[in-house]
Amino acid sequence: MVGSNSALSRVSRGLYLLILTAGALVMVIPFFWSLSTSLKPLGEALVFPPKWIPHPFLWMNYVLTWKTVPMGQWFINSTIVAVVVVIGNLILDSMAGYALARIRFRGRSLVFFGIISMLMIPFQSIMLPVYIILRALGLINSYAGIILPQLVSAMGVFLMRQAFLNVPQEVEESAIIDGASRWRIFAQISLPMVQPSLLTLALMMFMGAWNNFLLPLLVANNQNFWTLPLGMVMFQQQYYTNWPYLMAAAVMATIPIAVLFLLFQRWFIQGISTTGLK
Amino acid sequence: MGTAVMLKNTESRGGMEHWRRQETAAAYMFSFPTIILLLVFSLGPAAYAFFLSGVSWNLLNHMHWVGLSNYSAILHMPLFWTSVKNSVIFAAVVMPVQTVIAMIIAVIMNQNLPARPIYRLIFFFPSISSSAVTSLMFMWIFNKLGLLNGFLSMAGISGPNWIGNPRFALSAIMILNIWSTAGYFMVVFLAGLQAIPRTLYEAAAIDGASALQRFWNITVPLLRPSTFFIVVMGLIGTLQMFDQSFIISGGTGGPLNSTMTIALLIYQEIFSYGQVGYGAAATVFLFVLVLGLTIITNRWLGKPIEY
Repeated sequence: MVGSNSALSRVSRGLYLLILTAGALVMVIPFFWSLSTSLKPLGEALVFPPKWIPHPFLWMNYVLTWKTVPMGQWFINSTIVAVVVVIGNLILDSMAGYALARIRFRGRSLVFFGIISMLMIPFQSIMLPVYIILRALGLINSYAGIILPQLVSAMGVFLMRQAFLNVPQEVEESAIIDGASRWRIFAQISLPMVQPSLLTLALMMFMGAWNNFLLPLLVANNQNFWTLPLGMVMFQQQYYTNWPYLMAAAVMATIPIAVLFLLFQRWFIQGISTTGLK
Repeated sequence: MGTAVMLKNTESRGGMEHWRRQETAAAYMFSFPTIILLLVFSLGPAAYAFFLSGVSWNLLNHMHWVGLSNYSAILHMPLFWTSVKNSVIFAAVVMPVQTVIAMIIAVIMNQNLPARPIYRLIFFFPSISSSAVTSLMFMWIFNKLGLLNGFLSMAGISGPNWIGNPRFALSAIMILNIWSTAGYFMVVFLAGLQAIPRTLYEAAAIDGASALQRFWNITVPLLRPSTFFIVVMGLIGTLQMFDQSFIISGGTGGPLNSTMTIALLIYQEIFSYGQVGYGAAATVFLFVLVLGLTIITNRWLGKPIEY
């Protein structure tokens, strides 16, 4: 009985591993194929049926892609936008999240539900009015136009509020009695206690800003302000037959986010688990 | 706590009032930038869309009020209904498929298998890549001479030009979207699975319930909070799909409008046709569609669980 049971479980474990491995291959193959294409001469990329390993490895594709299109400028633009968005969210989301979690004030539930309701408004559905507002503010073709709409996030405020709610009340009490200002309590006592959530927030916001396509598409008509995703797509429409160069650009654009992900995987996952469970 | 209470009791009423006012002022100073930015770039635009749906305006001349005529105009526009049809079909296929795949993979991954962290990393990785990167990758895979047709030809099938053929273009985007989001939702399900008490499974196993019975009778019902979140997020995400259609069709929604979605139509109304009012009316339509489906989902899956 016990023997047959464990034999059965060995069979089902084998089956599970088979399914997972097949799924994992489906996930990995597109990336592997892009990497492989990026190292091929154009003629070899179009060979049918496809060849997996480039021969020879054409590292020059990366250099030539970088020279053909202003990848450097796109990298700088993406970095400026992502870094400012991360800093803005770290400061502003945690301040608002702190106020909502820790301070009892008139209108708190109104502010809280106002922010929660904005979780339900994704950017695609308000692109038209946002574009018109940005245009009226004179922010088309500017970094500010790409940054300001992403500078705070309802999701981030929510995440930080949850984090501050988990900080025990007692740690603040003696400081309150000593008459310390709210700002000092926030900055010196509570903020250091939510460092893991800050890291999660920073990663989520970096990823969102780095990968954002629609907002730069609306704001940056002038190619001096193109970010990597927008630049790549525009590049594709111009050189749509040169797949090795396109894939080289795609690989280069993915490297920063891949490195961050591999270093901080735990915090990425944590972010989804905490925001996803509510 | 004791000292705080004592302090409050001994302080004068005025002091308490003063302290409260100070707290309220501090709270608003802390949240002021957030409130302003969210009002200007999120809640305000949502309200502004309702106003704009009642005007005729091409961004250059003066706008004038036309009441509800934008709505009747778009409702008589075949392209609008094409976009609604495409978005709804897209959501109706992608949302359930990605939810089911994510749940199955999460349940399997929760079985204490070897190399679990590596599998989790691999499944999650597509969802952190940008839509531009994944769309370009899949355009190359779906090319007439691409990888997918290479695989198909091994099975003796001569594959179509996926992206250039109106019968297959939307399906290609569906495959791309399922591929890129299933791993994200799998992580949400994994977190939900951790919350189900192990003892329930042990008790069911002692009672002789098979693995499949345990999955249907314990896992699926107790995962409902995660499922609810995933279905709502999936609906919102799929109904508003824009990036992949824009990138793969080069902004046209083609071939033959087969990849035209509501969000892409809104974009074209403003940037190609200069019809702000039409675009705003379609925006309001999209709001109502998403809100209505969210409410229905809430009725269906949103109840709390009773153990």
